[in-house]
Amino acid sequence: MTYLSFIRAEVLVLWRRKQNIFNALLFFLMVVVLFPLGVNPSAEFLAPAADGIVWCAMLLAVLMATESMFKEDYIDGSLEQLIISGLSLPLLLLLKTTAQWLVVFLPLLFMMPLLAEMLYLPDGCFWVLMATLVIGSPSLFLIGAIGAALTVSLKQGAILVMLLILPFYLPVIIFATSAVRAAQLGLPYLGLLAILLAIFLLSLVIAPCMAAIVIKASTN
Amino acid sequence: MNWAWFHKLGAPKWFFHYSKPWALPLFIVGCVSLVVGLIWGLAFAPADYQQGNSFRIIYIHVPVAMLAQSCYLALGVSGLVFLIWQMKIAPIFIKAVAPIGAVMALMALVSGAIWGKPTWGTWWVWDARLTSVLVLFLLYMGIIALQNSLTDLLLANKAVAVLSVVGLLNLPIIKYSVEWWNTLHQGATFTLTEKPAMPMEMWFPLLFSTIGLYCLVAGLALWRMQTEILAREHRSHWVKEEVMKHGL
Amino acid sequence: MAFDSLTDFFEMGRHGVYVWSVYGFSVVSLIFITWSTLSKRRHVQKTLRKRFKRDETI
Repeated sequence: MTYLSFIRAEVLVLWRRKQNIFNALLFFLMVVVLFPLGVNPSAEFLAPAADGIVWCAMLLAVLMATESMFKEDYIDGSLEQLIISGLSLPLLLLLKTTAQWLVVFLPLLFMMPLLAEMLYLPDGCFWVLMATLVIGSPSLFLIGAIGAALTVSLKQGAILVMLLILPFYLPVIIFATSAVRAAQLGLPYLGLLAILLAIFLLSLVIAPCMAAIVIKASTN
Repeated sequence: MNWAWFHKLGAPKWFFHYSKPWALPLFIVGCVSLVVGLIWGLAFAPADYQQGNSFRIIYIHVPVAMLAQSCYLALGVSGLVFLIWQMKIAPIFIKAVAPIGAVMALMALVSGAIWGKPTWGTWWVWDARLTSVLVLFLLYMGIIALQNSLTDLLLANKAVAVLSVVGLLNLPIIKYSVEWWNTLHQGATFTLTEKPAMPMEMWFPLLFSTIGLYCLVAGLALWRMQTEILAREHRSHWVKEEVMKHGL
Repeated sequence: MAFDSLTDFFEMGRHGVYVWSVYGFSVVSLIFITWSTLSKRRHVQKTLRKRFKRDETI
């Protein structure tokens, strides 16, 4: 096995599980729709809350998509294959997470113009929101990978993953929505994007290693 | 420097025998000091000129909040120690301290909320400190839930250590982000701890109750660790000797 | 003493409810965690002792 063949196999598997990804997208849409229906459909409420709504839906959809990331590989034994393959396990997990990110996140990104209209997002904020999503979402997937690794051996791990991982998502959502809000008020927001980038880089370094430690311990 | 003691810490047997005489004295000293601090604070310390007598909640709230944070710091550090040196005592420590930390965080939350009623007029304010204690409580509950749901001991050790290390790395970020978010949302709130220089007669009871609670928790933690060591090492000979000879 | 009378001490100048409920809750929590620690300890020792005794008779 080489890194290249791993990526190829990974993409194939994701393609075969396209229903799961589709479900995550629908889930994202559902959560967004809940807010106008459940709270208030007026532009006065939605316009200032739009970024927060999008980000909340994003967190939940990402958690749903990543939660079972390693599960099938664990059950059918391919995780053990990865460990004994001689390749670097953290790097493989990183590749896997990246593939997941591309497949789940890009469609979400394409839905954004539509959602921005539906939620009356103020004009100047759209690109800032897109920027926070692009910079912030990799951290969500990386941290989510740790959660998925921690609960890989459990049959019913979904709720536990939420409990474990959601507190770690708080800084990301706080800085992301603050950036959009700052842009709304005409304040400088590049510093906040830089913090998001820093969180991303930190999780890029740490998350694959931590996930690898747990995966190794799980497959014994 | 001699590092022998550090490596001995890895051996649960050594730790058990060394720590056994310490638990009860620590607990008793802690209780006495805590009671002295609380009674002093309740009955003898002067009332605050701004908050009146509701300020006496500080003698519970501050020590408890400090312990909630210290316990998490200790969890994170011991998780790191376990991942680097595979020290057997570290996961035992994590398992023993996590529930204590959760109780401390809960007490800090409840006392903060009740203190909020007379000072702010509401039970809950999205104040930076209260919010970060809430997050801390959730982190503790996560560790406990993970510990309870993983039945394989080796895996549970590793998983919980990883979670505490990640939590330790995240804690400053969470704290900073919540504080930053708070200032953005509602400007400067009234902070509980930054008072105009606390006079001595208010400060001493606080010192007593803080030290007392630290000792009390240390005693409890040692007891819990010893129990866990006995349960984990039940196959070894020394545990049998220990249980049969000394017993309850 | 910072209070003139015992009723004053319990009243705490209108803040009695808050102060005493915090102290009550805290004492109960501390007692709970101590109790759970000690009962777990007793339980483990009892189980182990029973097991060792049984092993000896076999």
